[in-house]
Amino acid sequence: MHDIYNFVSGPLVWASFIIFFAGCLYRLISMAVLARKKDVFVYEYMSFKFGLRSILHWITPFGTVKWRKNPFFTIVTFTFHICIIFIPIFLSAHIILWKESWGVSWWYISDTAADVLTIVAIASCIFFLVRRIVLPEVKYLTSISDYVILAIVAAPFITGFWTYHQWPGFRIMGILHIIAGETMLAAIPFTRLIHMIFFPFTRGYMGSEFGAVRHAKDW
Amino acid sequence: MEKRTLIIYTLIILLGCIFAVMSGYSQEDVTTVEDSAFEKKMRPGVPFLHDQHNEQAELDECNTCHHVYEDGKLVEYDSSEGQECSECHTINKGDNPISLVNIYHLQCKGCHQEKKAGPIMCSECHPR
Repeated sequence: MHDIYNFVSGPLVWASFIIFFAGCLYRLISMAVLARKKDVFVYEYMSFKFGLRSILHWITPFGTVKWRKNPFFTIVTFTFHICIIFIPIFLSAHIILWKESWGVSWWYISDTAADVLTIVAIASCIFFLVRRIVLPEVKYLTSISDYVILAIVAAPFITGFWTYHQWPGFRIMGILHIIAGETMLAAIPFTRLIHMIFFPFTRGYMGSEFGAVRHAKDW
Repeated sequence: MEKRTLIIYTLIILLGCIFAVMSGYSQEDVTTVEDSAFEKKMRPGVPFLHDQHNEQAELDECNTCHHVYEDGKLVEYDSSEGQECSECHTINKGDNPISLVNIYHLQCKGCHQEKKAGPIMCSECHPR
């Protein structure tokens, strides 16, 4: 167990962070190059003012027509995104590991709070899964990769919850939890999870075109 | 003195002796890792059978764990048993206790990793 733990919490962490950062950088650069080659007007129309205006509307709950039309979806999607970014960064157990490895630490949430937020995150994943299966318009656009991505995102939270509550097999689950987190991090650049990095640009461009060219709102 | 009274007195004194000796032993028996500097615990304290651990780990010297440092240097023949870690590794009231948590983790997990023996994952030491 020591060797496995040391491997997944050592070299594999390095690998996943390097893949994450290098992969995101690669995706950003290659997308920028592709955009210049295929559609020069992306750069022509890109406007900081209109781009930011659109982004701000879309990252505000109920700030767009789409958000207002689907209030439940809006609440779930915002809570979900806040949870999956917030929990891993501010979990005390993670901060202890940062402290052990790098001597750095920061503010953290209580384990009870983390527990509740994790349940919310897992429940949100179940909601997204059901939504994909039940809603015809979403099902039509769903491919296998969407389920895989959902599983990749849900896995760290399910395994983490399992380990924390020390249900049977929690040692193995703890190892799987670390691997699941690393898988998610490494998968971001190469799946549609890249929207984490791309959204300011895609949304920014749409906002720019709608604002500067069509003189219309895109929210 | 009647024979019965004598027997009762003897029994009381005997029980008293056993109690005194037992309580002396139980004071020696360390069963958890405790530090008064932790005002409220996020995770349950770590069960730790001091003697059993040291027998298993073949630790003879107290200062393997109960070390003393002076000016950043290990004092080889000094030891600090009976002291709480937080007496030297101080944290202020209301401070982020992570640094104190960390020195406990270094002491336990650090050694376990070095020796490739003993628990190293969160839930292996902090039971629910």
